[in-house]
This record gives sequence, structure tokens and C-alpha cells, in this order.
Amino acid sequence: MWAYIIRRVVYNIPVFLAIVLLVMVLLRQQDPVPGLLGKNATQKEYDSKRKELGLDRPLMVQYVSLLNQIVRFDFKQEMWTQPGMTVGEQLRKAIPPSLSLTLPALVLTSLVSISIGLFSAFARGRWLDKALVFFAVLGMSVSFLVYIIFGQYLGSYQLGQLAGRPIFAIHGYEPGLEHWAYYLLLPVLISVVVSMGYDTRFYRAVMVEETGRDYITTARSKGASTAKIMFVHMLRNAMIPIITRIMITLPFLVTGSILLETFFGIPGMGNVLLTAILNSDFPVVEVFASIFSGMFIVSIIATDILYAVFDPRVRLQ
Amino acid sequence: MISSLRRLFESRAARKLRRDNGALVALLVICVYLLVTIAVMCNAISLNDCSQVIGPKSAAGFFLKELPERRFEIARTSMLKPVARALQNSDPTAALADVKLGRWAVADKRLTQLQKIVSDAIAIQHELEKSENLDQAPELEPKLVEFERKTAELIEPLSRWDRLAQNAAMLLGTDAQGRSIFFRALYSIKVAIQIGVVTAVVSVLIGAILGAAAGFFGGWVDHCVVWLYTTFSSIPSLVLLVVIAYAFSASDAKETLLPVYVAFCATFWIGTCRVVRGETMKLKQLEYVQAARTAGFGSARILFRHVLPNTAHLMLINFSLLLIGAIKSEVILSYLGLGVQSQPSWGIMIRDAGNNGDVMSGFFWQIGAATFFMFFLVLAFNILSDALQDAFDPKHL
Repeated sequence: MWAYIIRRVVYNIPVFLAIVLLVMVLLRQQDPVPGLLGKNATQKEYDSKRKELGLDRPLMVQYVSLLNQIVRFDFKQEMWTQPGMTVGEQLRKAIPPSLSLTLPALVLTSLVSISIGLFSAFARGRWLDKALVFFAVLGMSVSFLVYIIFGQYLGSYQLGQLAGRPIFAIHGYEPGLEHWAYYLLLPVLISVVVSMGYDTRFYRAVMVEETGRDYITTARSKGASTAKIMFVHMLRNAMIPIITRIMITLPFLVTGSILLETFFGIPGMGNVLLTAILNSDFPVVEVFASIFSGMFIVSIIATDILYAVFDPRVRLQ
Repeated sequence: MISSLRRLFESRAARKLRRDNGALVALLVICVYLLVTIAVMCNAISLNDCSQVIGPKSAAGFFLKELPERRFEIARTSMLKPVARALQNSDPTAALADVKLGRWAVADKRLTQLQKIVSDAIAIQHELEKSENLDQAPELEPKLVEFERKTAELIEPLSRWDRLAQNAAMLLGTDAQGRSIFFRALYSIKVAIQIGVVTAVVSVLIGAILGAAAGFFGGWVDHCVVWLYTTFSSIPSLVLLVVIAYAFSASDAKETLLPVYVAFCATFWIGTCRVVRGETMKLKQLEYVQAARTAGFGSARILFRHVLPNTAHLMLINFSLLLIGAIKSEVILSYLGLGVQSQPSWGIMIRDAGNNGDVMSGFFWQIGAATFFMFFLVLAFNILSDALQDAFDPKHL
């Protein structure tokens, strides 16, 4: 087991190195200095700024220095667009808003879509199942952006007019549990509605696969009740794909949602990242991408190990 | 390739597909969209049609009668105001010749006549302005109708063909700049299909070739390909899309669709590659491949003639799925300002509707048109890819 983990980690080191390099090279296709200095900068100012940012060094030197930061887990480099604030502080500040949006969204989406998938698979071929599948496909055919725009219109604007006072915020964020529902409940609900189509279909397919197995027939012939078969036998056996899927999405919790956060003005990771990219704040983008991909790689390895723990037929090799 | 496609078409799975009514309807819808694409490519609707002002701003579609307050506003601003201003000019004739709103020009009447109409209309306007809110004043309705008639007298009547063209352009109303929503939505079909087909074809080809090579040759080729797709899939796709689009934003290619193509292809080839690699590893073990090898065929020939054609069904399914992905991602990139630049697209229409407060003020024509046009295309492809999957790859989860 340990040998397996070590081998997987070693195998993924080149992947990680390539990601960091890829992001660095892609970002450096554009010269950020004119944007940072404004239009009227002299050549001298330009040169000194380049030197200050360390952009005059060869790419490989910059690459090694970034890797050095990542390995030491030291993100005290200053942001380019907000002097006086380090990259680490900025990212740390942006994680709580993102998590308070994505975590409830993931829990709600999974609960709702697993239950719908379970019922749909159980009613397979009947009108209820057909209707659910149909609505899932309909829901998948509308753009994410349309859900957000109409969600904001109905939830923040129309509902607020109906109640006579704002129920959901149109824009903005305040930390604290007491403000959570006002600022974040609507984005969470929109995110649930958007991902429901995909998730329901996936979980339905998982459950349908399970209904065809022999152990269901055995349970039935023993005289087990429908509810027992559904919730005890099927759900338990379907746990492996469910856990795998949820594990894979875990790193994405930290990235937040670029669209929802920019639209509702939530200062989360997605928002920070997009602003950093559009304003050429390279350190933020590079550190963000490396942390995320590190987490992603770890979660994939962890998923494989969990898989082997849950399913004794799977051998780690 | 042709023969393998024909074999695919005559297979049992394809016959199953042809019995699926939903899939056939979806194919029909897709054909309609393709016809529109071809028509747009033949310049039936030019970029100019999409970008010129054709009438009053934010007009409703289907020639619906709007609320009195809006009607008053449209009648007041579209012709009356510019004509009144032109008449006060030192050279009214020249100024009047410049007054234009899309196809509408000032009526060919004598100056004194125009002056009379304008002063009459302004007299009615003052009366109407006394009311706080025309929507709640039904007793002023006849006055409003008279006002509309008066202002319409300022406009030169259109010829029959022009009127037809004008009605077509106004079918779904106009956006906040007075451009035709219908034409923009139609033109966007071409943009969407173009982006979808190009990225789907390129990504499927890259993915299939790399995946087949990895699965077939194994060894270091396999290691390299797996390493490559693990790398690309470990960056969140939206982040990769945005970073690639940003990388292009300084280059000359910014105005073209090239950044969009590259960004999509870089993220989309992974899925196909993974699936084809798995299938190739399975096919490689089969007897017919061993037979080909015994017959003395080279690896390349076996790969391209015998293995790759047998993954055609996977490519077809992935093509359909990627097309949906491209069309939906285009909307998101365009919203972020990194997607399509100098032509209309559904993403730009939705973004405009969200940004300039169309939705908040209850004007749904622009976002509605873009959503519905996109909805039917994506729905058709969703149904088609489900049917393809059921027919060709029933075990797929």
C-alpha cells in the first residue's frame, strides 16, 4: 500500500512540474508591465518595473524560484496589483467565501440528485422515470449564464418586490453565519439547479446498473421489501461510484465558481483568480494553479486508495 | 474512413438508431440549423445586418403592442425629436436628409408641412406629459393613438419589399442599441455551429489519434500520452480556458475565433483520448488484430485501417458531446469578455442582456431569443448523443 502511494506520488511529480510550467508560459505570452504602469510610463520606469517584478530573469530562473516557493510553502510574495498584500493572504482571504458557497452546494446537489436518481432508477421505464430523465435533459440544454441571470432576477428582484423587502442580495458579501442566507443562499440554489441535470443522470445510470445485478434478484427472492432493497442493498453498493464522484469534485470546492462569484460579487477564489488573470497579476494565478493542481493530484490518488479500501476486489498495483 | 463510416451506418446499432423517433426529430432540428448556417455563410445575413440600427431601441418582438408609457417614449424619441431638432438647424433641408432610423427616412414633404406636423405633435406631447404614468391612464389612450399617428406622418412610407425586410428584422424586437435581435440570433447559429464543428472535429481527431497510439503501442508512448492528459486535466478547465484566451489577447489573432478554438481544443481532447485509449487496449487483444499481424501488416496499417475505424462509434458520440460543450462554453467565455469578439453570438447577446439591465427592467426579448435558439440546438444534440450512446455503447455509464 505505501509502496503504491509513493509510486503514484513520484509518478505525478512530472505532471505537477509541467502544469506549473504550462501556466507560466501561457501567462508570459503577454507583457504585463504596460498594463501595470499605465500608458504614460517612460522606458526607464518600464525597465525598473520589469526588474522589480523579476521578469527580466530568464524563464527557467523564474520557474525555479516559483517552484522553490511552492516547495517551501511560502507564499509571501507581494501581489502585483495590490502592493502590500501577499499572495498567501489574498488566497487565504478568498477561501472562506468560496467554501461557504461551494460546500453547501455540493452537499445539497448530491443529496437531491442521489435521491432523485435512486427513485428514477427504481421506477425505470415508467412515466415518472421518463419525465425525470426528460426534465434533466431539458435542464442541461440551458446555459449556466441564463440560470444565473434569471435566478438573480427572480430571487433578488421579483421576490424582493413581492415581499416588500430584499430577501436575497443582488450583489455583495459579508462574512458571518447570520449573513449567509442573505448573500449566499440564492447562488447556492442556482448552482444546485444547474448541476442537477448532470448529476441526476449520472446517479440514475449508476443505480440502473445496480438494479441489474444478481444480488438484487437474490434479495427479492428472499422476500426483502422494496424499500429495503432500495436503501440498504442498492444504495450501499452504489456507494463506490458515488464516493468517487464526490471525491473528484472536492478540489473544485476551493476554486469556487468564477461565474457565480463574479455575477453576485462574492470575493471568493473564482473572483480573485479572474481579476488576477484580467489584470495580469501573475503570482496569484501561478500560486493558485499550482495549489489547485496539487490538491487535484492528491485527491485522485486518495480516490484510488479509497476505492481499494471499499472494494476488496480492486488491487492497487 | 469512408468504408468504415458506411459499415457504421449499416450496422445493427445504426438500424436501432433509425427506429428511435426522438433521435430522428433531433436530427431534423440539427439539419434546420445547418441549413441556416449555410444560408448565413452564403451571406443571406451579413455582419452589417446584425450591427446596424434598424428601429427604436429595446422594441418588443412579434409586433406586440407595448405599454402606453413605452409607446409614448418610442413615438417621441424615434422620429419626432430628431426632426424637430433638424428643423431648428440653419440649413433644415440638409439636416433633415441626415435624419435616419434604419430604413426610415423623413417624409418627402414641404418644410412648412413638416413644421406643422411637428408643432401639432408637440402640442399633444405636452398634454400627454401632464399624466404621471400613462400606463394607469386609459382615458388618454385616444390621445396617444393620435400622437402616434402624427409622428408616423413624419416618416416616409416604405416600399413593399422594404416593409417586408423591416418586418423580418423587427420580428423578435431590437436590443438596447436598436439592432435586430432576430438577425443577430440567426447569425449566432453560424458562429455556434462553426465553433462547435471546428473544435469538436479537431479535438476528436487529436484525442483519437493520441489515444489509439497510446493504447496500441503501449510502453513509453502510452506513458507520454497519459502524462500529457493528466497534466491538462489537472488544471480546472475553466481556468485553462481563461488563461489560454488571455495568452492570445495581446496577439493579432485576438479578433478572430482562433483563441476560442485553441482554448477549447486544449481542454476537449482529453475525454476522447481516454475513451479511445481504453477501447484500443481492448481491441488490440482481439483475434482479428493478431490475424492482421500474422499476415505481415505493419503497425501503422493495423492501427489506422483495423483498429481506429472500430472506434468510430466512440468518436461519433464524443463529437456530439463536445459540440454541446463548445456551444455552452462559448457563452461563458463571451460573458467573461474572452470569447467571440467582433461578431454576434448567443454568449454576447446573453451577456448584453444581463449587463445593460435588460432583464432587470423586464425586457426579455434578447436573452429569450438567444436562450431559445441555443436551447433547441443543444437539446437536439443532447437527445442525439443519448441515442448514439444507447445504440453504439449501451454499457456506458
